[in-house]
Amino acid sequence: MKAGAHDAIGVSADRLSKRFTHAVKGEVYAARDVTIDVAPGEFLTLLGPSGCGKTTALRMIAGFEIPDGGRVVFGGQDVTLLPANQRGIGFVFQNYALFPHLSVFENVAYGLRVRGQAGGAIGTAVSDVLKLVGLAGYESQFPAQMSGGEQQRVALARAIVIRPRVLLFDEPLSNLDAKLRVEMRHEIRALQQRLAITTVYVTHDQEEAMAISDRIAVMQGGTIVQTGSAEDLYHRPATRFVAQFIGRANLIDARVHDAADGRIAVDALGHRFLLAHPRAGMAGGGNPRLLLRPEAISLAKVVGKTDELVGAVVSRSFLGEKIEYVVECAGEQLQVVRYNAGPDDLLPVQAKVALHFADDVAILVWDDEPKGHS
Amino acid sequence: MRPGVGARLRAEPALALAIAILWVLIALFIVYPIAMLLARVFVEDGHFTLTGIAAVLTDRHQVVAFWNSLLLGTLVGVIGTAFGFIFAFAATRCRLSPTLIRLIDVAVLLPLVSPPFTMAIGYIFSFGARGLITYDLLGIKGAGVYGMTSTMTAEAATYFPIAYLALRPMIAAIDSNIEGMALSLGASRWRVFRTVTLPLCIPGLANSFLLLFAASLADFATPLILAGNQFPVLPTQAFLQITGLFDLRGGAALSLMLLVPALLVFVAQRYWVGRGHYVTVTGKGAGQAPFDSVTPVARWTLVSLCVAVTLFIVYLYVLLLYASLVVAFGANEAFTLQHYRVVFTEGLRVLGDTLIIAAIATPLGGFYGVLLGYLVARKRFVGRTTMEITSMVNYALPGTIVGIGYLIAFNDPPIVLAGGALIIIACYVFRYGATGIRTTIAMMQQLDRSLEEASESLGASSSTTFRRVTLPLILPAFFAGLGVMFIRSMTAISATIFVVSLSWTLVTVKILENMTELALGVAAAFSVVVVAIVFIVIFAIGRVLRRLRAAGASAVTGLLAT
Ligand SMILES: Nc1ncnc2c1ncn2[C@@H]1O[C@H](COP(=O)(O)OP(=O)(O)OP(=O)(O)O)[C@@H](O)[C@H]1O
Ligand SMILES: [Mg+2]
Repeated sequence: MKAGAHDAIGVSADRLSKRFTHAVKGEVYAARDVTIDVAPGEFLTLLGPSGCGKTTALRMIAGFEIPDGGRVVFGGQDVTLLPANQRGIGFVFQNYALFPHLSVFENVAYGLRVRGQAGGAIGTAVSDVLKLVGLAGYESQFPAQMSGGEQQRVALARAIVIRPRVLLFDEPLSNLDAKLRVEMRHEIRALQQRLAITTVYVTHDQEEAMAISDRIAVMQGGTIVQTGSAEDLYHRPATRFVAQFIGRANLIDARVHDAADGRIAVDALGHRFLLAHPRAGMAGGGNPRLLLRPEAISLAKVVGKTDELVGAVVSRSFLGEKIEYVVECAGEQLQVVRYNAGPDDLLPVQAKVALHFADDVAILVWDDEPKGHS
Repeated sequence: MRPGVGARLRAEPALALAIAILWVLIALFIVYPIAMLLARVFVEDGHFTLTGIAAVLTDRHQVVAFWNSLLLGTLVGVIGTAFGFIFAFAATRCRLSPTLIRLIDVAVLLPLVSPPFTMAIGYIFSFGARGLITYDLLGIKGAGVYGMTSTMTAEAATYFPIAYLALRPMIAAIDSNIEGMALSLGASRWRVFRTVTLPLCIPGLANSFLLLFAASLADFATPLILAGNQFPVLPTQAFLQITGLFDLRGGAALSLMLLVPALLVFVAQRYWVGRGHYVTVTGKGAGQAPFDSVTPVARWTLVSLCVAVTLFIVYLYVLLLYASLVVAFGANEAFTLQHYRVVFTEGLRVLGDTLIIAAIATPLGGFYGVLLGYLVARKRFVGRTTMEITSMVNYALPGTIVGIGYLIAFNDPPIVLAGGALIIIACYVFRYGATGIRTTIAMMQQLDRSLEEASESLGASSSTTFRRVTLPLILPAFFAGLGVMFIRSMTAISATIFVVSLSWTLVTVKILENMTELALGVAAAFSVVVVAIVFIVIFAIGRVLRRLRAAGASAVTGLLAT
C-alpha cells in the first residue's frame, strides 16, 4: 500500500455546468461554471450549505453525471465523457454504499476482482488495507452487523485498495456521531497524506473542512465563490457569504471614505477607522460591511477616553473554556468571545465595557465578490 | 439526447448490445404482431380500408357482443371490487385470527392459480342441468345455467381475489391511528368509515375496478363455457370467428373492438390511478387495528360474508375434485381413478409439452423481466420510456388480440413460427414477463443508486455491476417474476389457444377440448393436476423468497393481482 507522490496526478474541473429540470422551478443550474484545480496529492474540499451543488460537482468529477458544459481533466487527460469505471477513482459515499450481500472481505476485494487480479494478491491486498483502517479480523462480517464508523472504514478501505488516482468523498462523516466524526477526519487526512492521493472532499461542515483540507472551495448557489486555505477564507473572505459561512462573524454597517497612503477610512459604530488591509481598498456590489471576528474584539474597563468604543453586555454564555458575550455598541449587537482567565473573569450583564480591536484585523466585505479579484 | 450519452453507450458495448437486442425482440414479438393485426384489418390490396371494421360494426350480433363485454366487465368490476374490499377490510380491520386469514388467503388464491375454466366447470357441476344444487337439491329439471348471470358470478368469484390482494395492503397502510383519532373526536364508527377510511381507499378501489374490468373484458374461457348463445361476448366471438368460420380477418376485427376499452383502461391506470402506485403483498401488510374499527354486529356480518364466499369457492373446488374421482358426475357416482389414468397416459404428452414450455419460458421470461426492468429503471438511453411502455403492451392487451396478432404475424413468411414451441414460449415471455419488469422497476426504485455507483467507481462495467451487485439484490423480484411466469405458463389460454398446434399443445387447451367432448371427468382431473403442480411450485418459490427475505420482497401471489 505505498504510493509515492510521483504517482499523484492533478485534477481540474473547467467551467463545469449541470442543469436539472425542477418540477416547480423549471430548468435550474445545480452547478454553474465550477472551476477547481487540485494539485497532485492535494486535499481540496468543496464546502457549502445544503443544495449548493457540491454533490453535483463531485459527481461530474467522478463521472456519475455528464456535465452539460465544461471539462474534467485528470492528469492532463480529458475524461469528461469517460464513464466512472474507467477513471480510476475511489468514491466514498455518505451512506457508505456497502454491498449488503457481500462480506467485508468481498466488499473490499470487489474492485480487485473486477480488475481480474489473482486470488493470492487479492487476499494480501485486502488484509493489508483492512489493517490500515483498523479492521483486521473483520473479514467475514457483513455490513449489516457493523456500526456506522466501522462501515465507513470498510467503505474507505474499499475505495483505496484499488489505488485510485483520485479519491472522492461525498459527506462521508455526516452519518456518524460528533466524536467519531472528529476521529475519522483525522484518520482520513492521515491516510490521504500517507498515500498521497489527490483528493476532493465534499462537506457542509466548515470546521471539518478547515481541519482536513489543504485548500477549500466555498460554493454558493451552484458556483464557487472563493478558493483558498482555511486561513485565507477566515481572514480574507471574498464576500459577505463566505465571511458568514466560515466561522462566526460580526458584520457591521459601514460607510467608506477614500484616504491616503494605502489606507482607507471607514465610518462604523459611530467612529472613524483607518483600515490597514489592502483588501479593504476594493469594492464589490451591495453595501459594504465591516467584518470583525468575535475573538478579535477584546473587552476592557471603560477609562473615559474620547475615541473609546463603549458598549453594554446584553447577555453571556459560560461555556467553560470560553465565555461568549453579546455586547451592544452604537445600535449593533456584537458577538465577543473571551477565553476564560479564571473564576473572577466574568463580566455581568449590563456592565459597561470598552471594545478594542487592532486596525489590521478588520476588513470590509461586500455582498458580491469584488471585481478584479479572484 | 444529451451530448455524451451516445459516447457513453459506445464505451459500454455490453450495455448497448443488450439494449439493441431488447429492441429487436420487442419489435419482433410485441410491435410486429400488433402491426400485422392492424394491417390485416385495415389494409386491403395495399390500400387503407375500413371495410373490415365496418363489417363488424354493422353486424348487429357483434355490436351486441361488444356491449355485452362492456356490461359484463362493468358488473364484474363493481361486484368483484365490492367483495375484494369487504375481504380486505375484514382481514385488516376486524381482528380475525391469523389462522382464519391464512385459510381465506389459500382459498381465494385457488381461482387465481387455476386453469381459467375451473371455476366455470365447478359452476356447472353445481348449477348445471345435472348440478348438485339445481338438480339434486332443488329438483329442477333441465336448469338453464348458461347466460349472463352465471358468467358474471363465475368471473366475479374468479377475479375478486385480485381486488382483495390489491386492496388489502392499501387498507393496511392506512394508519389506523387516523381512524382512532376520528373516533376519539366523537365520530361514530360508521361515520369514521364513511368520512375517513373509504375516501382514503378511493384510488385503490378505482384501480381495482380497472383491473377487474380488464380481466373480465379479456376473459375468454369463462364465457366460452358459461355464456351460451344468448350472451355473446367479444373474445369468444373472435375465437369462434376464427376457429369456426376460418375468418381470420373478421376475428381480428372483432378482437380490435376490445382494443379501445382495453387501451382506455391502460391509460387510466397509468396516468390516473396508477401513478407510482404499486401493490405488493408482504407479511407485515395485514396489520391489525389497535382498536375496534367496527361494531360487533358489523364485524359478524362482514366475517360471515367472507366465510360464506370462501366456502362457496372451496365448495366448487371440492365438487371439481369429486367429479374427477367418479365415473360420471350426476349420473354414475362410483369411485374411479380412470380420469387420472387418462391424464397420465393419453394426456401425458400434453402435460409434458406444457411443462417443457413452462420450463423454458419461465427462466427466459424471468431474465427478460429483470433485465428490461433494470435497464429502464437505471440506464439512460434513447427511447427508454418508449421501451418501458411498449414492453407492457402485450400484457395490457386482452390475450385474444395478442394471440390473433401472433397467429397472423408468424404463420406466413418472412417469419414462420407457427406449429412450433417457440411461438408459444415467445407469447408467454413477452406477455407475462411484464410482471417481472414491473416488480424489478419497483425494487430498483427502493434500491439505493449509490450501490451501483460504488461498483462503477471500483471499475466494474455495467454488465459486471448488474451481475454482481444489482441482480443478487433484486433476486426476490426475479423469483417472484419466475413464479408468475410459471403459473401463467401452466394456466393461460386466451392468447395461446391461437398458437397451439398439433405438435405442441397445452393442458388448458386440452381441458377445453375435453369440455367440448363432454369428458367432464377428465377435464376435472386435468384441472386438479394443474392446480396441484402450481401449488407445489408456489410453495417452493415461497420458500426461496423467505430465505432471500430482503426488503421489498413480494409474494408471488401478490403479483398476480397487478
Ligand atoms: N437528479 C437531480 N434532478 C433534479 N435536481 C437535482 C438533481 N440532483 C440535484 N438536483 C438539484 O440541484 C441542486 C444541487 O444539488 P446537490 O445535491 O448538488 O447539492 P449539495 O450541495 O450536495 O446539497 P447537500 O449538502 O444537501 O447534499 C439542488 O437544488 C437539487 O435539488
Ligand atoms: Mg450532497
